[in-house]
Amino acid sequence: MKTGIQSRLLLTTSLVLSSFLFLAGFVLDRSFQESIRESARDQLELVIYSLMGAALEFDEQLGFSTDLADNRLYQPESGWYAMVERHGKEDRWRSLSARTTGVEFLDYQGILNPGQFDFHEENEGSVDRFFLTYVVIWEDEDETLLTFQVAADQEPFVRTIRGFRRNLYIGLGAVTVFFVMAQYVAVRWGLRPLRAMAEEVRELEDGKRERLSESYPIELDGLAQNLDRFIAHEQRSRSRYRKAMEDLAHSLKTPLAVIRNALQDDKREESNLLSEQLDRMENTVTRQLTRASAVGPVIVGRRVDVGNVIDRLVRALQTAYSDRNIEVEQQLEPGMTVRGDERDLMEMLGNLLENAFKYTRTRILIRSASSASTSIYLEDDGPGIDPELREEVLNRGTRADEVQQGQGIGLAVVAELVELYHGQLTISESRWGGAEIRLDLP
Amino acid sequence: MRILVVEDEQILQDQLVEKLKHAGYVVDAAGDGEEGLYYGREYDYDAAVIDLGLPKLDGIDLITTLRNEKRSFPVLVLTARGHWQDKVHGLEAGADDYLTKPFQMEELLARLNALMRRAAGHASPVLREGELQLDTAKKEVRVEDALVELTAYEYKVLEYLMMNASRVVSKTELTEHLYDQDFDRDSNVIEVFVGRLRKKLEPINPIRTVRGQGYRFNVETTA
Repeated sequence: MKTGIQSRLLLTTSLVLSSFLFLAGFVLDRSFQESIRESARDQLELVIYSLMGAALEFDEQLGFSTDLADNRLYQPESGWYAMVERHGKEDRWRSLSARTTGVEFLDYQGILNPGQFDFHEENEGSVDRFFLTYVVIWEDEDETLLTFQVAADQEPFVRTIRGFRRNLYIGLGAVTVFFVMAQYVAVRWGLRPLRAMAEEVRELEDGKRERLSESYPIELDGLAQNLDRFIAHEQRSRSRYRKAMEDLAHSLKTPLAVIRNALQDDKREESNLLSEQLDRMENTVTRQLTRASAVGPVIVGRRVDVGNVIDRLVRALQTAYSDRNIEVEQQLEPGMTVRGDERDLMEMLGNLLENAFKYTRTRILIRSASSASTSIYLEDDGPGIDPELREEVLNRGTRADEVQQGQGIGLAVVAELVELYHGQLTISESRWGGAEIRLDLP
Repeated sequence: MRILVVEDEQILQDQLVEKLKHAGYVVDAAGDGEEGLYYGREYDYDAAVIDLGLPKLDGIDLITTLRNEKRSFPVLVLTARGHWQDKVHGLEAGADDYLTKPFQMEELLARLNALMRRAAGHASPVLREGELQLDTAKKEVRVEDALVELTAYEYKVLEYLMMNASRVVSKTELTEHLYDQDFDRDSNVIEVFVGRLRKKLEPINPIRTVRGQGYRFNVETTA
């Protein structure tokens, strides 16, 4: 069986949705990281500017007015560090925080041009840091170059990023779950008419309803109506055909009866020949009409209750054979059904049971066994059917010119119907030495 | 024995009537269901042969109506379609046996005979009462194993009385069941037949006269 529509829709939307959300998460994550780096750089830049504003020079030594704008530089382990260096001289200033922490500043002498910023990330031991470096021409007598370098631990920034990421993933996860669920509900709701239709078609097949209901959405309404029309048409033409066959049977058989009765009083030589030909005609008409008016295994229709059909036939036959005092025992599983036409089933079982009534001596046993197919066994204690004749009895009259006078074609008719149903008819010996007929119907 | 035939095919109806009359039955024939119903209501029959495919009133409906009106005579249905559903419907409506067209006339006669015997409570075609034997198939009567020569009418009187052994049969009833409608219904004729019949059946005398009511078959009264 192919993947269901519901699964297809759900699979597609889930795939599209999750890749979209994954991409969105990735982009958001990257931009946030970028903006955090940017803000780190901005903050470091501010520190450099404030250092430049506060820088003093005395005794050819660098110094700073005591109250630097950023007092994080005075706190040990604050995570914020600064260094100022005069090029070409052993003159270096480092902030208190840098000195206590022991930050390795980077050497930019001669690499950076004046007026240029350089933003850099560096790993020192176990600590990641941002570094921002700036080189200026110091406006004193020598016009020396000064390098300002500020560093900040990445830890607080990373924490922010981590926090953001967590919220992002939770948020996106929630959105995914919500969307998939919404999609599931939408698909279920959207496909409900289809499921309802499938269910109704099943009911149609089982004969629990005559037609589809009328409340289908516009997309399915046309299909439902066409299906209804098709079924109605099929049933109409089936019953019309059957009616035609019955009329044909009636209009053929009554004249045959008349001819036969007329022939009986005729003592001439030819009447025997005519009578023989009449038998052939009768058998052909009976067999062909039975075959032609059989419906076969129907797709849409009631399942036939086998027990009910057998009950009715047995009651009818017991009326017709009431002077024989035949004991009929039924061992049928209750609720056994066959998909097909009731008349076809009655035709098969009727002929078989009639034979049993005709040939049995005292009793008939009707029993069933259902495995993959429905099996019905008819056993009697009559003379039985000779093993050599079994095959022939079933095929008798298959060709019209084979039919001989006075031979019954009941079993052959049944065999043909059974074949139409892809069933099987088997003759064997019953427990009392009579005939056992086994009818298997799928 | 009076039999009703309801068959719409005129030639077949004629053949049936002829054969049945030839076999010694009194026959009324109807060409459609309504006419059949009229006859069935009007007369008390010993058996009926009813075709299932009838105009005006269907054979099934005819049987159902007759049974609802407590008409209990045995019914043999004829079906041209030969479908089991038709046979089952016919038997469920109250018919007692079926025959598929085309049929052998001998078969029909044998079935009718059996139906009437069954209705009278006899399983075998040979009715036995004491020293008296009546073979409904061969139409023979024996007393103490000796064949008794009877005319057709004498046989019919004896057969009817034996079939209805448990009750009193009036002369009018005998006339109705044994003779065609146009027959002169003089009850003296019946008395003459019964008188001759008694003489032929001697030494037994199974026919008892119930004063003012009719006759009754009773072997106990054998002399």
